[in-house]
Amino acid sequence: MFSPGLWIVLLMAAGSSVLIALLPVPTRPGMEMWVFDPNHAKIARYIAEDWNHDHASNPVTIHLITGAAIQSRMMSGFYSDTPVADLIEVERGMIGQVFAGPVKDVGFVELTGRLDRENLRTGINGPSFSPWTTRGHIFGVPHDVHPVMLLYRADLVEAGGIDVSKIETWDDYFRVMRPLMQDLDGDGRVDRFLLNASPTSIYYQEVLLLQAGGRMFDEMNQPTLSEPVNARIIARLATWYAGPGHVASEITLGGASSMRLVREGYVVGLLAPDWFAGSIRTSLPDMTGKFKVMPLPAWEKGGRRTSVLGGTMLGITKAGRTPEDAWAFAKQLYLSPATAQRLYEEARIVSPIKANWPEPFYDVPDPYFCGQAIGRMYLQLAPDVPLRPSSPYYGLAQQLLNQSVTQLCAYADDHRLYDAAALEPEAQRLLNEAQRQLQAQMDRNAFLLPSAR
Amino acid sequence: MKNSRLHSAWTPWIFLAPFLLSFTAFIGWPAVRSLMLAFEQTFGPRTTAFVGLTNFRFMLHDPFFWTAVGNTVLFTVAAVVTQIPAALGLALLLNRADLRGRRLFRVIFFAPSIVGLAFVAIIYSIMLEKRTGFINSSLHALLPAWDPDFPWLEHYVMPSLILAVLWLSAGFYMVYFLAALQNVPGELLDAANIDGASPWQRFRHVTLPEIRPVLNIILLLVVTGSFQLFELPYLLYNETNGNGPDNQALTIVTYLYQTGFRSGDLGYASAIGWLLTLVLVGLALLQRRLTQKEEL
Repeated sequence: MFSPGLWIVLLMAAGSSVLIALLPVPTRPGMEMWVFDPNHAKIARYIAEDWNHDHASNPVTIHLITGAAIQSRMMSGFYSDTPVADLIEVERGMIGQVFAGPVKDVGFVELTGRLDRENLRTGINGPSFSPWTTRGHIFGVPHDVHPVMLLYRADLVEAGGIDVSKIETWDDYFRVMRPLMQDLDGDGRVDRFLLNASPTSIYYQEVLLLQAGGRMFDEMNQPTLSEPVNARIIARLATWYAGPGHVASEITLGGASSMRLVREGYVVGLLAPDWFAGSIRTSLPDMTGKFKVMPLPAWEKGGRRTSVLGGTMLGITKAGRTPEDAWAFAKQLYLSPATAQRLYEEARIVSPIKANWPEPFYDVPDPYFCGQAIGRMYLQLAPDVPLRPSSPYYGLAQQLLNQSVTQLCAYADDHRLYDAAALEPEAQRLLNEAQRQLQAQMDRNAFLLPSAR
Repeated sequence: MKNSRLHSAWTPWIFLAPFLLSFTAFIGWPAVRSLMLAFEQTFGPRTTAFVGLTNFRFMLHDPFFWTAVGNTVLFTVAAVVTQIPAALGLALLLNRADLRGRRLFRVIFFAPSIVGLAFVAIIYSIMLEKRTGFINSSLHALLPAWDPDFPWLEHYVMPSLILAVLWLSAGFYMVYFLAALQNVPGELLDAANIDGASPWQRFRHVTLPEIRPVLNIILLLVVTGSFQLFELPYLLYNETNGNGPDNQALTIVTYLYQTGFRSGDLGYASAIGWLLTLVLVGLALLQRRLTQKEEL
């Protein structure tokens, strides 16, 4: 018969198998919500306290999880029915993957009907829905608007005797601010630039493109990289970035010494969505009274004075057991003036809920920004925020746009050509090629073909 | 008698079962599944469409893929010609009995490999930063004409990656070479010395043949490791999703990751993964064949 050792191994295997089989499947009480941002988590926990007090039978627990972990757990859950939270906050960069398949397989509950039935859609800033909408179906409640303004070094500008009220367009901006582009240490090189941007800043190209009326996708998420307006814009961008007289240079925000460079005034102006204004206030508390914001200079006179950068939505997962409660909590969290107030006071993020816009806390002068009521300033621009795509190919389009700008700058340097009109044909050629590549990738997706809709 | 036969027939399988089960569950089945995926368009296991060879056909005409292949091959060649000589050189140096403080040097050269690519990427990006980075600020202090905003990471994408990995890996492979060098019979070297062989001749005709098995393994490790390069460009060029300016840092694995986990195209990502696997297996077999020829 078997040796005693083998018996022990077999018994242990059988015993542990039985033990595992008998272990109860853990059932979590109430609802779960996954959040990737500590500020959002803080506010959600605050609102959840009230909810849990009133809904003891179905409380909500907020879990703060890194964005990358949320994305992989969420997608695994959507693909294969492994457990996911009842509510998930999704950042802009994560949503494309959620929308890469057929509409019926999106892991979130569609909210279009609910929003319309409860008359909420008109009460929320229209453009804020665009990143969370695919093929005409809305899958999330927008958390924010994220209009972009220009954050500038008011101390340097005022010391230079510059009057920013004269600035209406980007051309005005660079002309009026030019005296601030200086060699500070006498080595013959410029130590201060006028705008924080560079050909490799993948997000800023999009911000500026959208502001100018350019776009990477149309309303049906079809690629539009090769539209002539895009070529015009990137040709102008190349003149900012390339050549010995370039007016823009980039501080890699998040880099080790980025805040030091901001403090030292390496750049005069930074493209600043509301969350960035909040973030700089927290990161550089000793710079009170040195920054101001102004609407972005327009590309042409009378043009749009803002753009958009970043964004979050709250989605209700199909896997949740109590979608009605999840929806009720989502409304309590996202629609309440209390949330709007905390969001603004802690992070300077303005609410997409129009009913919250008249709230007086947005009008409180902020000493950090030289007494400007930046909440009100951002809100005034909110309705003008451009629409954004929700295509799963958005990341690829960003990459291709970035590649075109980089190649155009190299072309400008190679040919010593720093005139936008002269660069436009090459810009168009590069974008045509980018469009071809993007279209080829998209054409392979059987689920997104018009016939599959 | 019957029991004893049963015993001998089943015992190895019972002992192998834990490995076989876990291998099947976590490696075998996923590999089979990913091979199937390579012929599908998929949005999770419930939504799939068989597309035949479309993913592979697309790969042939996909400029991103070929850019990634070009960058990866270039990196691999550069890694082989820099890492192996550097590691061998360090090992030869530190194998000298007359070198003072060689233990300390061994630790110093080996230390970067302990910290890993993520740490190297962070250190590198800080060192090479515009204006405030150690390299630019030092050069500007020494040579005032030096542009403190010189964009090292943007202008020298591939050299930056090669140098970073060289820094990390040279000390690691040095340890392998050191172990091999210590097994080279001293009497052979002494005999060659007595016969009047020069240092180069001793190295070429005595040391090198003795350490060749280790050299072959290191060559294989460098090649396969280089083909799988991902974390370093991903972290160093995080702002461009790991692609670097004009896709100069895009590697095969970065592209696989972007396709599968950012665009959600797991079918195409699997096709890329299988092609990479075939290339690596092919290289390993080729190397094995060449090694066998040499041994014969």
